[in-house]
Amino acid sequence: MGRCGPGGADLTGIELALAAFGMMLVGIFLRIPIALAMGMTGFFGTWYVLGAPNSPMAALKGLSYETFSNQGLAIVPMFILMGQIATRTGMSAALFRAASDWLGHRKGGIAMASVGACAGFGAICGSSLATASTMGQVALPEMRKRGYSDSLSTGVLAAGGTLGILIPPSVILVIYAIMAEQNIVKMFVAALIPGLLAAAGYIITVALYVRIRPGSATAAPRVPYRARLKTLAATWPVFVIFGLTMGGIIGDWNWAKPGPQALFTPNEAAAFGATATALYGVVMGRLTFAGLGAAILETAKSTGMIFFILLGAEMFKGFLAITRAPDLLADWVILQAYTPLMVLTIMLLCYLLFGCVMDSLSMILLTIPIFLPIIEVLDFGMSPQDTAIWFGILALIVVEVGLITPPVGMNLFIINGVARDIPITRTYAGVAPFVVSDMVRVVILVSFPAITLWLVGVAV
Amino acid sequence: MGRAMGAISRWLAYGGGAILVFLAVMTVASIIGRALDGIGPFGPVPGDYELVANGCALAVFYFLPWCQLNRGHVTVDILIDAFGARAKAVFGLLGDTLVALSSVVILRQLWIGFGEKLPFGSDALRAALLMGYKPYYPETTYELEIPVWSLYGAAVVGAFVMVLVSFYTVWRAVTWVVAGREARI
Repeated sequence: MGRCGPGGADLTGIELALAAFGMMLVGIFLRIPIALAMGMTGFFGTWYVLGAPNSPMAALKGLSYETFSNQGLAIVPMFILMGQIATRTGMSAALFRAASDWLGHRKGGIAMASVGACAGFGAICGSSLATASTMGQVALPEMRKRGYSDSLSTGVLAAGGTLGILIPPSVILVIYAIMAEQNIVKMFVAALIPGLLAAAGYIITVALYVRIRPGSATAAPRVPYRARLKTLAATWPVFVIFGLTMGGIIGDWNWAKPGPQALFTPNEAAAFGATATALYGVVMGRLTFAGLGAAILETAKSTGMIFFILLGAEMFKGFLAITRAPDLLADWVILQAYTPLMVLTIMLLCYLLFGCVMDSLSMILLTIPIFLPIIEVLDFGMSPQDTAIWFGILALIVVEVGLITPPVGMNLFIINGVARDIPITRTYAGVAPFVVSDMVRVVILVSFPAITLWLVGVAV
Repeated sequence: MGRAMGAISRWLAYGGGAILVFLAVMTVASIIGRALDGIGPFGPVPGDYELVANGCALAVFYFLPWCQLNRGHVTVDILIDAFGARAKAVFGLLGDTLVALSSVVILRQLWIGFGEKLPFGSDALRAALLMGYKPYYPETTYELEIPVWSLYGAAVVGAFVMVLVSFYTVWRAVTWVVAGREARI
């Protein structure tokens, strides 16, 4: 029982999975693309277990096409295209202007405004990197002009960039939803309050930061309310597009039941969002043909990267399934009688640790097939479905922390690329308080699952 | 060589982008049509769902070469960085080589997958072209009855360019190893 390998007598499923996992990590650290490290481990692992390469080779006849044509994944390239177009329509500048008119007169107000603008941009863009780079180009020159310290201005933008993923739409949540077999609409709704909480936490962090280090920021002159309303009004497309795409998929999707119906399916919402964003850009005269071409090439790069990882993960998942390691591991964890909270804490710490060197999507794809079966058998006092949604949001937050933790934090590099004269160590220092804010938020969300799940119960 | 590869993969990516843009506009038309259903000629676009899923798959196949050409795939560089620029280039070559080999495997298997959906051709020709078992009837999509072999065939184009581009990137990585460092892309 539980033994696999040619002849069936070598290793238990767990031992085999562990060995494969170890080899994969070695490959990843040897700079092999993560997608390939996963795919090759899955391929050779399956070969080893079954004793012949026929089965994984046969699977590959249809696997690439079937993985890429997954109905639930079609939303991913659409949202990426929408975000890429949005970065070329001037929406980020409009958001930043409005936020800085409302908040700029406070000490550190422009940094707070950057957080607000990042949150707004996150509502139409599902990528942290795109949010960080777009807002960095808009907000960083402004903060530097007004005498904000290098640490605060780069730190706040790197942290604010993570709101791109935390606030729906979010590419990683789509992938989690598919892996965990959860409804994507519920995942998006669940992410909303934690996302807003993140923005609030970052603004409070800025307020505390400038109180402790008064020299790090200045206050701009107060802007009259008439002007504030005018710049706020200029951000209407963001509200309309977010309202329609995210609002349009919320509703009663049980079509058999009477009552309000959702306007769109998630795929339709993404297509609508991309079209509306492009239309706005064209009407405003900001989206040129060359701009659309550049947006497509960026979309091609991110989409190719994501789907290649998905294909690798699909091979890897098939291998894990035949070793039965996830089930065996879950049984083992139950036998150890660890408290659910302890197991959850260990998992979240794993994410933090790996997040220092790995990207968020790969981490989710590698770990969810192993972690989720364990989480689902533990008793957190919620239904299994609620637990899966809640865990997904927590995992999303902690993997996103990986984007702003040294040594490998993609957002830090992106902000550093916008302002090459600021040493990256200043950015490391500046982002630290925001990491603390993230930690506080994780503790709050772990302690009160209702914060995440309440809106899901009310809205959908 | 590099210029040609750049041009091929860029235009293929534009093609994938055109598919995405078409799908977006088509979906919006379908939503509007559905909302006005029953009034005059309006109605949802038939088969919009399968168009989106299959169109996205083709777009992804057309995006992959551009991604590889730009070293778009995620790698963990932190350990190798410690050993200097040449070591980085050497392991970059390792990665590109593995991508090239696996893209050959993907193309070969996708080609067989295509062959096993294609109900045409004499047995001798099919055997010579490595096309696998001949199916009895053409499998089609659910609503529009698009033959699945045509979709696989369109995907093969992307997978084929991916092989070309990935072998070019291997050669490029070799020149970087010789030069002692990777160039910026």
